[in-house]
Order: sequence, then structure tokens, then C-alpha cells
Amino acid sequence: MIDVKGISKQYGDIQALDNISFHIDEGACFGLVGPNGAGKSTLMKILSGILLNFHGDMEVNDWSVSKERLKIKQRIGYVPQEICLEETLTARDNLTLFGHLYELKRKALQTRIDEVLAQIGLQDRAKDKVSTFSGGMKRRLNIGCALLHKPSIVIMDEPTVGIDPQSRNSIFSIIQELQKDGSTIIYSSHYMEEVEHLCDSIGLIDNGKLAEFGRMEDLLEKHASPSLFIAGEGIDQDFLQSFGKVERKGTGYLLNSEDSLQTLEKVAVHCREQDIHPYRLELYQPRLEDIFFHLTGTQLRDM
Amino acid sequence: MWAIARTELKKVVQDKGLWFWTFILPVIFIVAFVAIFSGDENTSYKEVVTQIIPGYTIMFAFFIMISMVIAFVKDRDSGMVARTASTPLPIHHYFFGKWIPYMIIVLVQVAVLFGFGVAVYQLPLGDPFSLVLLSLALAFIATGWGMAMAVLVKTENMGIALTQVLALGGAMLGGLWMPVELMPEMVQNISKALPQYWALQGFKDVILSGAGVTDVWLNLLILMVAGAAGGVLALVSYPRFLRQSRN
Repeated sequence: MIDVKGISKQYGDIQALDNISFHIDEGACFGLVGPNGAGKSTLMKILSGILLNFHGDMEVNDWSVSKERLKIKQRIGYVPQEICLEETLTARDNLTLFGHLYELKRKALQTRIDEVLAQIGLQDRAKDKVSTFSGGMKRRLNIGCALLHKPSIVIMDEPTVGIDPQSRNSIFSIIQELQKDGSTIIYSSHYMEEVEHLCDSIGLIDNGKLAEFGRMEDLLEKHASPSLFIAGEGIDQDFLQSFGKVERKGTGYLLNSEDSLQTLEKVAVHCREQDIHPYRLELYQPRLEDIFFHLTGTQLRDM
Repeated sequence: MWAIARTELKKVVQDKGLWFWTFILPVIFIVAFVAIFSGDENTSYKEVVTQIIPGYTIMFAFFIMISMVIAFVKDRDSGMVARTASTPLPIHHYFFGKWIPYMIIVLVQVAVLFGFGVAVYQLPLGDPFSLVLLSLALAFIATGWGMAMAVLVKTENMGIALTQVLALGGAMLGGLWMPVELMPEMVQNISKALPQYWALQGFKDVILSGAGVTDVWLNLLILMVAGAAGGVLALVSYPRFLRQSRN
């Protein structure tokens, strides 16, 4: 569906992207993650057709972006990180504007606007000015503007920044509906739990390079194995160390051993024998955030 | 293109600042300066109104650049420019879609201020066809330069400051405030390099001397070429403007 082939982009002396290649299947939800300044935004700009000068190529349905840019743009709905709406106009006016930009006309456009307003839950506020909307409503309208032309690919750049959990949940529902309808989604976010929740494959960019790419389960398996988390009074750290590497995590300890399940049994028996009552003793499944820190480190990137 | 133009027009019509700069302030200036200079014994009433009304109309036409700068910088900083670039809309459609509404506003401005002159000061109009062409050329150059300025400036304040220099400096040197004949010879030579001079001379020729299109063709040509230069500069600078846009 989408083939990114050796994309490189340089700004002066800075190599923003360095020979990035990957493939996204039709109907997939692809998560793009990376620290600040890693090159994510540049890649999103290239994928959405905003940035024109770069090395390499991108193909959508075998159409090359260098030759068939307009055809590709007609199939892409881009949801930018910034809220790109005309604040002094109504929600319907904004949707009408973007509908025209995507070459929708008259009755078909009005019908589609009604459908999108229902999809984003703003049908009752269609005639209200955007300036009167909450952050979550603006975010939803921002998404709606990208869905009018029923794009087969939806590119979302941090669509949930600065909104309440209800609005976030509503946006997740929209994304899941899009997936059900067969849309391919490219989703960029700094919220790892969102990417983990929504996406089936991941690309991790760091220093302009594709540091990791693959299915979520494969990456979790490759970079992190389950460990054991134990918290409570009287925990014997020396005893835990006899099973593997122990590190302090929050109120308890994280124990990395070769066979976490077996270790769990042994620790449980030990606690019973010693009359120790941990309030948490559980298998700790690694998360995308663990892989992210494992691959990119914990040092600040905005210095 | 028309979707962008319609949206832009809707936005600017809601902008109260634009109404003030475009219609209210020029009317105040015209009333005040006609009152001041019509008491001059050496100048006829007709000469006063044919100098002041077209002069201030031309000067305030250039103030449209402020609204253009504000609109473009806002679009750039809000990410709207990049967002639009992600749609199938060709760049030149975006460009002309943004340009046309401001041309319409300047044309309405000229019509309102000249209409005010006719109604209140019995301003003669001369050949209507020449007047319309000169008004179009004036709208074209003011907004063409506005497009260039809007795309090139880094901040709103920079755009506003440069507009003041161009509008007020051009008005002073271009003879909009007082006839160029009353100025030193060196300034008169500088005047001829300014579009404001050619616009005013064109209007005066039509209004005072009954000139037609064939008499003001050079004025029209100069205004159109200068306006086109602004438009081309803006179009050439657009990729840089797009790179600066958020998102």
C-alpha cells in the first residue's frame, strides 16, 4: 500500500532524515514514534505531500509521489498537530472550505458534511463559530476536515495533544471506526500508551534514522521480556538478586530473570515461608515505552 | 481557488480593524484636509478635492497590506498554509484565492471614497472606463505588493512597520499629500519612481483634464508591471514561506 523508499532530507548541515525505508500494509494502523527532533515531523510532512524537496521516493498503490503527487494527495487525509481551523467561521463553514479543497461539490459535499459532523459528534454545533469550541471539539473538527473526501490513508500527527480523556476516547473511537472501514492510518504521538493501544505496527525514528520497525508484538518480544514486580514491607533484596538483575521501580522492585513465571512461583513460596505479605507480586509485561527508552535512552532531547 | 477566496472574504468582512483602516479613517482624513485646504485663496476648490480625495484614496489603498500581512502570518503560524498544501489544491489556486478578496476590498474602498467625494464635495469623475481601469491597476499594485510583503516578512510587526514606510513614505514623496509641482526638483524625480505618483497623475488626468484610456496607458502599464513584480516575487518566495509554516 505505502512504500517509503530511501527517503533522506537535509536542512543545511543537519541530516533530518537518513535513508528511511519501510512498507505499510493496506488497512494497517502504523505508529510513528521518536524523541523531539528525531525527524518524525519531517517524515510526516513528506508523507502528507507538504514537503516537496527530498531524496528517495514514496509510493502509494504503486503511484510515485514524485510523479503522481495530486492523485496521492486525493487519497490522503492529513490531520496536523496544530489546530488548522478558521476560528471566526462556523464548523460547517470550515468543513465546506476543506470539502472544496478536496474537490467535493454541492449536494455531495453537504451530505458528506452531515455524515462527518455525526461521525465527530458535532452535529448540534455545526452552526457555531469555532472560537466558541472547547479544545476537544476543535481537535475533533480538525480530524473531520481530513475525512470529508473519504481518504484511504489518514495521517495523524499528535491528534490528541492537550485534550481531556473523554475527547481522547472519542478520537480513539473515530480511529477505530476508520480502521474498521479499511482505512490505513499513520499515527504519530508522544503518548506511547496511545500508540500501543491503537497501532499494530511501529516505526521508531531517532537521529533521522529508522531505529526500529515492525509489528508491535515482535518488537516487544525482541527488546523486552516479561519481568517480575514485587512491592511490600520486608522484601529481601538479596534473595531477589539470586534470581537475576534487580532494580528499584516506584514503591517496589523490578526483577529480570530468565524465567519470570518460575521466579514468581519461587518468590511466592519464599514470601509464604518468611511470612512476608507483599501487596503487589505480579508479572510485569514490557510496554512500548520501555522499548522506546531502551532504544533512545532517557536523556533530554530538547537541550 | 474560489473556496479560498470566499473564506478569506468572509474573514476579512468580520474584521472591524479593516473597516476602520479602509473606510472610516480615510473619510476622516478627507473631511479634515478638505476643510483645512479649501480656505486657501491660491487654490480652487476643485483643485483641492481632486488632489485630496484621490490622494488619500491611493494612500489608504496601500494600507490593505497590513491586513494581508496579518492574515498570511496568522495562516503561516497556525499551520493553515501547510494544511492547505497537503490538499490537492494547486499552489497558484491558493495564491490567487488569497489575493482576489483583497483586490475586491480595495476596489470597494476606491468606489466608496470616490462616491463620498461625489456626494459630499461634487468631485467630478471624468471617463468612467479609465477610472475603473486605474482603480483596478491601483488595487492590483497595492495587493501585489501586499502579497510580496505578506510572504516575505517574518513577523506581523515587521510587516506593519514596512507598510507604514511604503504607504506614508510613498504618499509623501509621491505627491499624495501635496502636488509634486510644489516640491523640490530632486523630490520630483524621486516621485516618478513611485507607483503612488503614477496612480495620482492618472486619476488627476482623468478627473481634471478629461483624459481617456489612451492618455493614461503609461500610468496603467507602470502600475500593472509594478503589481505583477510584487506578485511574482511572492510566488517565487512561496516555497520558503511554506517551509516556515508550522506542522
